[in-house]
Amino acid sequence: MSLSAWLELLASGLITGGVYALVAIGLNLQYGLMRILNISHGEFLMLGAFATWWAQAQLGISPLVMLPVSFLLLMGVGLVVHRLCFRRLAATSPNVDVFEARSLMIGFGLMFFVQNFALLLWGGDLRGYDYLTDPVVIGGAQFSGNRLLVFGCALLFSLALIALLRFTLLGKGVRALMQSPTGAQLVGIDTRRLHPLMFGIGLGLSGVAGCLLSMTYAITPSMGEPYTVTALIVITLGGFGSMTGSLLGGLLLGVVEALGMHFMSPSLKMLLSYGVFIAVLLTRPNGLFKR
Amino acid sequence: MTSTTRRTLLKGAAAVGATTFVPGVRAQGAPVRIGYSIARTGPWSVGAQTSQEPNYLLWAEQVNAAGGLSVKGTKRPIEFVSSDDRSEIETCVRTYEKLMGSDKVDLILPPWGSNANFAVAPLANRFGYPMLAPTALSRKLVEMKLPYFFLLLQQPDRMVGALVDMLVANNVKTIAVIYVDDLFGLENYAALKIALKGTPIQVLEEKSYPGGIKDLSPVLRSIKDRNPDAFVGFTYPPDTILASRQAKEVGFNPKFFYASVGTAFQLYRNVMTPAGAEGVMGMGTWNARTSPGAKAYFDAHTKKFNKEPDRWASGHCWAGLEILQSAVAKVGLDRKAIRDYVANTEHKTIIGPVKFTGSENTATPGVVSQWQNGEFEVVWPKSMATSALAAPKPAWK
Repeated sequence: MSLSAWLELLASGLITGGVYALVAIGLNLQYGLMRILNISHGEFLMLGAFATWWAQAQLGISPLVMLPVSFLLLMGVGLVVHRLCFRRLAATSPNVDVFEARSLMIGFGLMFFVQNFALLLWGGDLRGYDYLTDPVVIGGAQFSGNRLLVFGCALLFSLALIALLRFTLLGKGVRALMQSPTGAQLVGIDTRRLHPLMFGIGLGLSGVAGCLLSMTYAITPSMGEPYTVTALIVITLGGFGSMTGSLLGGLLLGVVEALGMHFMSPSLKMLLSYGVFIAVLLTRPNGLFKR
Repeated sequence: MTSTTRRTLLKGAAAVGATTFVPGVRAQGAPVRIGYSIARTGPWSVGAQTSQEPNYLLWAEQVNAAGGLSVKGTKRPIEFVSSDDRSEIETCVRTYEKLMGSDKVDLILPPWGSNANFAVAPLANRFGYPMLAPTALSRKLVEMKLPYFFLLLQQPDRMVGALVDMLVANNVKTIAVIYVDDLFGLENYAALKIALKGTPIQVLEEKSYPGGIKDLSPVLRSIKDRNPDAFVGFTYPPDTILASRQAKEVGFNPKFFYASVGTAFQLYRNVMTPAGAEGVMGMGTWNARTSPGAKAYFDAHTKKFNKEPDRWASGHCWAGLEILQSAVAKVGLDRKAIRDYVANTEHKTIIGPVKFTGSENTATPGVVSQWQNGEFEVVWPKSMATSALAAPKPAWK
């Protein structure tokens, strides 16, 4: 295999992995910080995709403009969902393990609810639009413009969140809460403000991912589920609560899948993903990048 | 007692609704109750709501507007007893069991997809309800030899046979194949292997992939390196679009580019743009130019739902409803008589003549269609063609 073929293959894996990472980071924010096992994370991604498609098809708004709009829209949805479901749940659950189990149930409920809401509103048809599909040549390798854009934006949003958590006071508060919820509250970090905000940002990121995916894939009300599954694998790879871990884990999974598909068969893709998953669970149960 | 009064009220409202539904012409008899269960939610709903249920609704509306379904000359309104099967086989089977066993509806319409039909067909056969399935595709269904079950779509060997004939006639020497690794992909792939025997065509690359795949570019890149004359994909709608977009992305533009389910959808043209879809081939039987009946159906569907019917299964679905309608007009609601009429008559439909040998429609030949100037034209065989084959495919736009 020539060098440029290798590069194409790796880049292709990284592009797919970038989206995995973005979805996983959003979910990790919810799980790592609040132990909300939000199994409906992918459904909110689907909402972002539908919103972008709708704005593009009906109002002629560029998908690029919809990037921040989907983020804010889904963040708003996140605040409402947190207020309606998880705040009450946190107040009535005796301890965090019970909370986690119950949040899983709520996640399932939300999954059915949001999916069927989309079906009711937009119907079961496949949707899609044509945006930046012309190929761009980079050093002998060729990619479509929209996939490069997807990769760039996914990386940008992931890094922005990591920077937010690492370099701001807000981020310090969040990290303190992840390390020790009780300790953080003792020094005056307000969970009633931080939890909804982080949940909102988590869903906002899934909205961005949905917006990006709508540029490259066909959209259906059931498109989100596989991403939730992949995100769970990525979070396990990178370690619960570790955003950098999720980013690297997502990229790694994308590359492993691309290589596996090339050298074996695409049919073995799931087998590969779960193979990596099980291997990590057996050898490094706290995640690949956890010290 | 509030619930009883409310129920009575609802019944009253429904009765008023039913009579206002048929303005002008008064139907003469009691309604003909037709039951079905179909996916309105869940993963099957994409296919079911593209190719199947809209046709049921349009048909009932048209028939009722014309005074009702002719039952041996007596016009009776159609009343649907329908529900959502939630894309679950079990729900689907239970609902049909109830429809035929305890509700005792007059007729049934089939559910969506090979899997659901696989499960419901034996049941319908036991209860003696004729079933004309527009979206079931499997040789195994034919081999079950169920006397009350009829398949309207051309089966894999016919569709793939037509494709191979077309490729051989155009001097194609090498092909590359990808197929989804489920019953649909495997059967078509097996049929392709058989059809290729004794032809000069050589398969350079063959790869299976799982449904819902997100990236086909590694596969398409390695296929591009082998430089085949033709690409054949036994694909589902999302993968059909993915394969087309990524072929464009990696600059893979063979002389013949063929993909399967979804090429016949209006969506394909919308997503790829008419110029981008130009020259792409796929599974499709008909379009508005096939017959005057097809044109009338196409226009009515587009008007009612504000979207075009797909150029493959939708036409077959409508043909099935036409056959059922003429059977009831001829022999009434005796289901055994309907079955015999369906089995032993050559039917005239919008997609051309339909005749059943056992369960299989053996009158509609296998066909290949191709996007040309924004229309999915039938290009092979010549007897069915609405336009001449355009080869080689122009570059992706």
